[in-house]
Amino acid sequence: MLDELKSDALKVVGKEKKRVDTLDKVTGRTYYTGDIRLPGMLHAKVKRSPHARARIIRIDTSKAEKLDGVRAVVTGEELDIRVGLYVVDKYILARKVVRHFGEAVAAVAADTIEIAQKAVDLIEVEYEPLPAVLDPVVAYGKKAPLVHPELGSYEYVKAVFTPVPGTNIANHTKLRKGEIKKGFAESDFIVEREYTNPSVQHVPMETHVSIARWLAGDQITIWTSAQSPFTVRNLFCYSFKLSHKNVRVIVPNIGGAFGGKAGIHLEPLVAVLSKKAGGRPVRLVATREEEFSMLPCRSALTYRIKTGVTKDGKIAAQKMTMFWDSGAYADYAVNVTRASGYSGAGPYEIPNAWLDAYTMYTNKSFGTAYRGFGHVEFSWGIERHMDLCAQTIKMDPYEFRRRNTLKPGSITLTGEEINRNTGNVTRCLDEAAKAIGYGKLSAKEKARQKRTGMKIGKAVVALHKAPAMPPFTGTVVILRMNEDGTVTANFSLTEVGAGTYTSVAQIIAERLKFPLEKIKVSIDTDTEHDPYDWQTVASKGLLLTGNAGILAAEDLLSKAYEVAGQILRAKTCDLDNDDEKIFVRHHPKHSITFRQIAVGYAYSDGNGIGGPLVGVGRYIAQGLTNIDKETGQGNPALAWTYGAHGLIVEVDSNTGEYNVLKVASVFDVGRAVNPRSVRGQAIGGMIQGLGTAMCEGYIYDKEGRLLNINFTDNKIPTALDVPEEIESIVVETPQIDGPYGARGVGEHSMIAVCAALGNAIQNAVGADISHMPIRQEDVWRALKNKSSIDNFITRCSVGCRR
Amino acid sequence: MKTIKVFVNGERYTRNIPEHITLLRFIRDELGLIGTKEGCGAGECGACTVTMNGRAVNSCMVLAVEADGARIETVEGETASTKPSKLQELFEEHHAVQCGFCTAGMIMSIKELLKNNPKPSVEEIKQGIEGNLCRCTGYQQIVEAVLDYTGQLESPGELKIVR
Amino acid sequence: MNYEFTYIAPSRSEELVELLSNNSNTKMILAGGTDLIPSIRLGAFKPDTVIDIKKIPEHRIIKYDEKDGLSIGAAVTVNELIENRIAQSKYRALVLAGKELASNQIRNRATVIGNICNASPCADMALPLLCLGAKVILVSARGRREMLLQDFFAGVKKTQLGLDEYCERITVPSEYSNSSAGFKKLKRIKGHDLALVSVCATQNQNLIRIAVGSSAPTPVFAGEFDKKVTHEKIIREVLKKVNPIDDIRASREYRLFMLEAYLKRLLKEISR
Repeated sequence: MLDELKSDALKVVGKEKKRVDTLDKVTGRTYYTGDIRLPGMLHAKVKRSPHARARIIRIDTSKAEKLDGVRAVVTGEELDIRVGLYVVDKYILARKVVRHFGEAVAAVAADTIEIAQKAVDLIEVEYEPLPAVLDPVVAYGKKAPLVHPELGSYEYVKAVFTPVPGTNIANHTKLRKGEIKKGFAESDFIVEREYTNPSVQHVPMETHVSIARWLAGDQITIWTSAQSPFTVRNLFCYSFKLSHKNVRVIVPNIGGAFGGKAGIHLEPLVAVLSKKAGGRPVRLVATREEEFSMLPCRSALTYRIKTGVTKDGKIAAQKMTMFWDSGAYADYAVNVTRASGYSGAGPYEIPNAWLDAYTMYTNKSFGTAYRGFGHVEFSWGIERHMDLCAQTIKMDPYEFRRRNTLKPGSITLTGEEINRNTGNVTRCLDEAAKAIGYGKLSAKEKARQKRTGMKIGKAVVALHKAPAMPPFTGTVVILRMNEDGTVTANFSLTEVGAGTYTSVAQIIAERLKFPLEKIKVSIDTDTEHDPYDWQTVASKGLLLTGNAGILAAEDLLSKAYEVAGQILRAKTCDLDNDDEKIFVRHHPKHSITFRQIAVGYAYSDGNGIGGPLVGVGRYIAQGLTNIDKETGQGNPALAWTYGAHGLIVEVDSNTGEYNVLKVASVFDVGRAVNPRSVRGQAIGGMIQGLGTAMCEGYIYDKEGRLLNINFTDNKIPTALDVPEEIESIVVETPQIDGPYGARGVGEHSMIAVCAALGNAIQNAVGADISHMPIRQEDVWRALKNKSSIDNFITRCSVGCRR
Repeated sequence: MKTIKVFVNGERYTRNIPEHITLLRFIRDELGLIGTKEGCGAGECGACTVTMNGRAVNSCMVLAVEADGARIETVEGETASTKPSKLQELFEEHHAVQCGFCTAGMIMSIKELLKNNPKPSVEEIKQGIEGNLCRCTGYQQIVEAVLDYTGQLESPGELKIVR
Repeated sequence: MNYEFTYIAPSRSEELVELLSNNSNTKMILAGGTDLIPSIRLGAFKPDTVIDIKKIPEHRIIKYDEKDGLSIGAAVTVNELIENRIAQSKYRALVLAGKELASNQIRNRATVIGNICNASPCADMALPLLCLGAKVILVSARGRREMLLQDFFAGVKKTQLGLDEYCERITVPSEYSNSSAGFKKLKRIKGHDLALVSVCATQNQNLIRIAVGSSAPTPVFAGEFDKKVTHEKIIREVLKKVNPIDDIRASREYRLFMLEAYLKRLLKEISR
């Protein structure tokens, strides 16, 4: 899809453009699911479990049902329906047992939110608390109680996943490359360590919201804040055994998602409430506390890495074991495990690799997709470990990385050969290093150290990620020409905030040779009016939908040329278009405007030809395969986007206080379709990554109750937490099958920022930290050689502090 | 129920309302001004920020009855007829908006900041929006939009491209 | 807000006294609402009646005279206080702490007295007020009483206020005005957060006064020291007065360490 166009020949792609969705956003006119009011709409509230694991002895809803204005009450007992993305393991409401703190056990729909609240408060639930499994490594042990004793009877996607009945293993991904024993035997040093990180919330500013209306004849309409309307429809129909034509899913604008809205969540619950309330629409808005405790999070990870390194700085072998804490349900976590399984060594060549990645069920909030899809979590381990390896052989960590990066001719963990079009991670590292003045302190920095008494440290890290998606993922773009020659584009990504709609519009405009202002993209998505797309995830939207956009533009042009050829009495191969006109190349003034043929051309006597112009572009990922279940070998990667971060930090070697002074982020995006959007993704993701690095994470008590379910105790970065200086750089190694050479970069900016911080802190003051987030106290503890209080792993009484 | 009279974006509204509802709910559900959002309901995120008698407040923590007689400005009041204000235009231009859910509150906080301090420093801008969480932008482009608005942006935020 | 209640806004203090003395219903006082409204939202408090004290004109007053010092009415917000010229010139400690309290939006609503009456161990405004020897003026049908702020706190979120009583104003004597002052607050992020540990120190001609937050069930007045006393001794004495806990925000160990580190910095700063 790469036209051999020089960047200066491009008119729309590669240019800084205002986004197509922001005028309504800045003026407060954009509507989100929570802004929708339907006639007769009821309000729902949910009763949640106060226990991590318990048997439900009795639920008494009689008082709630008697309340005036209550229209429906449901409990798990009457809902023998399981839902699941890859493993069908989750009841709509907990049935017989609860498996995590905050799990929904009953729900009410009522005329007002006040009545719904009162009714929920009146529902009595009697529990018998059971011992909870709270650590993924403990869950792996033989003696651990089973979170899902019925795992063997669950349906799951057999081509891809491997749940192990009779255990807590929801999936086991294996990867075997080369000869691991030989690799270790050839190594001069063996470096082994365990790295951990907690569950983390996505924190979209808009919490999950769903509205459903279940009408006679099982005609269902769902309005929801979901990222992936077609996946919601598909999973909904699967679980309720309904035809896809009966279910309509509408997604207006979304107030941030980050993967947390990628699956199916509140939709089935509001649907059953509506059904029970006689078809009145029911609306459920998650409170922020519910967002933290009832809805999914990112999985915690315990990552053990054993690396064999030679004296001259080459990695000879690496054994990797990942215990992903999926929480109570498998959701996306099984696929995070798979994707991390084949990427888990970072952008480095490992000749001999052995990896086991386990998705473990525990009694905690369940893990789903989160920006980076596992790569943020494992990059903490891998990129800290790269520094440790370098220290072991007394080599500069930047140089050690350079020697091991994937280069043309390198073979990835899954057996894919890297070539010169794949992207250039070494270049990304070099640019990051240059941008922070790696390896030395400037005069200004030295003066600053003297002034503040703090020590300055620097680090560079590298990263990679390819879209994690089925190898046959496809999409469609439909272009319709309006009467005035403008074009309306329909496709079914959702505008989660990343700006993809604008980039796709730019690509379509470029190919049509239209000004961007003539292209309108339909932003809300409706499964009844818009064409299919799998999901808005994986940083694949730009590449797949962009390509489909090019094909749709070509289809529309070919149809327009056909009509124009007749009118202009020329062969279509002699036509060209520009300035909203189709003209004969040899006689440019001999032309016809698109407007004249937009909905059909009429001769002066009224005779018509042509008909309304549409263009359809279908695109499906090319040449990808599933990975082999035993060896992990295959070709799963649509496109590798490489990147690097350089980070400068100053640290107080006494108190552990630190300030991030600068972050320089570099990504090989192939082509920056809209540089301002790319920069927005680069900075926004980097700050989200710093949140993960500095302060975010779930804290449980030893009974498995989540202790920080709000912003008071689950802080995310504010404007004051932004580094003093930020630099955004892109390398452009065109992706041959990407639209105008582009590849996705929505997630990458978040990856490995955490390790950049950890490494820079160690560089500054020597504090050696293996768990994140890195709170100021953690730096202090490391400096004083105090045992870390890993209060995110549920070991101690209060807040898990020892 | 109590009757209140409020001036929202310069228009007078008289309404009989339940006493326990928040100003946020009043603005959204009674007046249909949906630009103002709820992000947490606890005053931590600032998505519901409006100005009340010129001061930025979290409308989720103000009762509608408390606003009796008050002048309220919401994001909708920032747009004259169908034309966005200069600040709104600069938000667009600098990509200070991604998902848009925090934007209304962000703009209202900046309005109060600029009223008291027409040329805020970077640090003062950050302090002014400290109570407005944004999960998408990383704040940088918001700060740049405000700097541009106040004539202080030396060079626009750049994406350096190397080939 | 999913829980219903009745709202009353008396315009005279006599009315307020009478409303409070009627104990036939559960009632709570609404000032800035920044603690009360979220608590009602969560169902932590379920009052029948919420009594708004902001419509009483005296409550909005902030004034200063040599004799009584600074008087801060019950409805004065944190931002009104930190924007006040007298506070800025004579009571720097109040301004320093006020600026550290939450975010601008909260400071526009939260009242100084609300922060005190909520009696959280981490109440930011409590520390400078303790250092400056503030007194609370409490009013009920039983009469009016005055007490030192350091005697007002009774436990975590507990005060000496009777159910029928309210805090009408707080006075800050001129005795410690013009003190040099410093305020330090340990947070998890650089943006708005509650104090993990906080400390305020003031120094007038002769005396150093210190108050500490988030280190005991209440904000603690940690003592008054002659400026000739060594910093080491002051720190030793202060540390004797506190007893922080381990919780999800920080460990006791780190709180004590940072308290000491902050005290060292503050004592140096204020003696300049």
